[in-house]
Amino acid sequence: MRLRRLWLTDFRGYPSADVTLDDGLTVVVGPNGHGKTNLLEAVGYLATLASFRGAPTDALIRVGADRAVVRGEAEREGRALLLEAELVAGGRNRAQINRQPLRRARDLLGALQVSVFAPDDLALVKGGPAERRTYLDDALVALHPRHDQLRSDLDKILRQRTALLKQAGGRLTPEIELTLDVFDAKLARVGDELAAARRGLVDRLLPVLGRAYDRVARAQAEVTAVYDPPWAADGLAAALVAARRDDLRRAVTTIGPHRDDLDLAIGGLPARTHASQGEQRSLALALRLSVHEVVSEHTGTPPVMLLDDVFSELDPDRSDALLHSLPAGQTLLSTAGALPAGAVPGRVLRVHEGTVRAD
Amino acid sequence: MAIYASSVQDLIDELGRLPGVGPKSAQRIAFHLLKLSRDDALRLARAITEAKDRVAWCSRCFNISEGELCGICADDRRDATVVCVVEEPRDLVAVEKTQEFRGRYHVLQGAISPIEGVGPDQLRVKELLTRIEPEGIAEVILCTNPNIEGEATAMYLGRLLKPLGLRVTRIASGLPVGGDLEYADELTLGRALEGRRDIEG
Repeated sequence: MRLRRLWLTDFRGYPSADVTLDDGLTVVVGPNGHGKTNLLEAVGYLATLASFRGAPTDALIRVGADRAVVRGEAEREGRALLLEAELVAGGRNRAQINRQPLRRARDLLGALQVSVFAPDDLALVKGGPAERRTYLDDALVALHPRHDQLRSDLDKILRQRTALLKQAGGRLTPEIELTLDVFDAKLARVGDELAAARRGLVDRLLPVLGRAYDRVARAQAEVTAVYDPPWAADGLAAALVAARRDDLRRAVTTIGPHRDDLDLAIGGLPARTHASQGEQRSLALALRLSVHEVVSEHTGTPPVMLLDDVFSELDPDRSDALLHSLPAGQTLLSTAGALPAGAVPGRVLRVHEGTVRAD
Repeated sequence: MAIYASSVQDLIDELGRLPGVGPKSAQRIAFHLLKLSRDDALRLARAITEAKDRVAWCSRCFNISEGELCGICADDRRDATVVCVVEEPRDLVAVEKTQEFRGRYHVLQGAISPIEGVGPDQLRVKELLTRIEPEGIAEVILCTNPNIEGEATAMYLGRLLKPLGLRVTRIASGLPVGGDLEYADELTLGRALEGRRDIEG
């Protein structure tokens, strides 16, 4: 998979931009705050219809404009693909592939794949369980776009269930009890499916993760990632029955896939609390690299790698290790400082106040 | 200082409360109405008043109706033993357009959605249950929307109705007729596979 060219209109600070990318390494340089990351963010948007920095759509539209357009010319297995996403302030986003409007913007998912590496990836190891759930679920969507539906169904069911629990105020009328039964049945179905998908993913990631860690850390260590929800043994339906009294009392859903964690350990000790800062950084990189590898293998073509200012946070040794453990494929890298030794860009893009110029 | 005279602002606010009308559209419609001749504008006002005065809910199925019973309930050629349950009158219109259904309807006037404060008590659920015996209903077709709220409503009704010993069915999800498989979204295609049938003949 290759992204050949990228056009932006009113995206972030760019009134308009037309950028050609190298098949190998393209480096984006420029002062901080001038839009290096936003260029990577635009590519990410075409792939996932979301900002990898978690910004809402409205924040991606240039101040004063009411819509933004991101257009990319990609190549996949020798076929040219023209991908377009239109972001509308306060409205419905639209997408096209080869000038054909898609019924839903979400149908663009899967046409372009990216793997994002960012400085705050460290949160995958140091942060709370939500970071690791997002990591797993993003990877699932990259593997099968239909998982996006599963995820949004889970979210909707949980919000309805919470509202119902609040309404109940700790007391069950026959109507509320039957309504709760219905939402529990829905939740159990979606939850079991999501947990099975996550478990399958972790099984695929695990062997790759160990190798990736050894390469990045340049040391041998036993790395484990375990996804084993406490409710998995008997299924979510049974767990919801057992938790019902507690759920009613606290007016939240206390058990389910939205509460799960991926337990990471290095040498048998929990990475979050026992690993050194360096080990944690290596593990975060390895987590990203292993999804990249699994998605490459699954789709038959490596995703475009987006490296957002990652080297600024790494010591020279680890920078070098990351650089050499990057798989072959197209890479877009932003940096405020110097490139690590050994990086040979095919193209350098200079960003200055919302304009892009190629060297 | 307010930008608009208060009567104009009132009009914009009222229009803005209509479904699908945002602040900008409300403003556009308001100015359009003000530009109309008095007769034209009053005709709209009268149409609203008249519809509000004359139209009520059908006492049997809760479709909109000008009389005690709606046109469908009053039609004795319709099959009283089959009832199609929909969320809104506009869904009834959609089913009716197929000309495939000759039974009666029941309009719930919504779907279960705790977020919006809508539970079974806010819907015409009890009214449906009281229809079963006297009308000799043998089958209920649950025709709510295929989204979370519609599915939950269908499941809720299913659990209430099944023990009564009648046939309870759910409309199928599947492929649009005349479409191409390759353009079907994965979810719909998956559902269509799940709901496959033995071929006839």
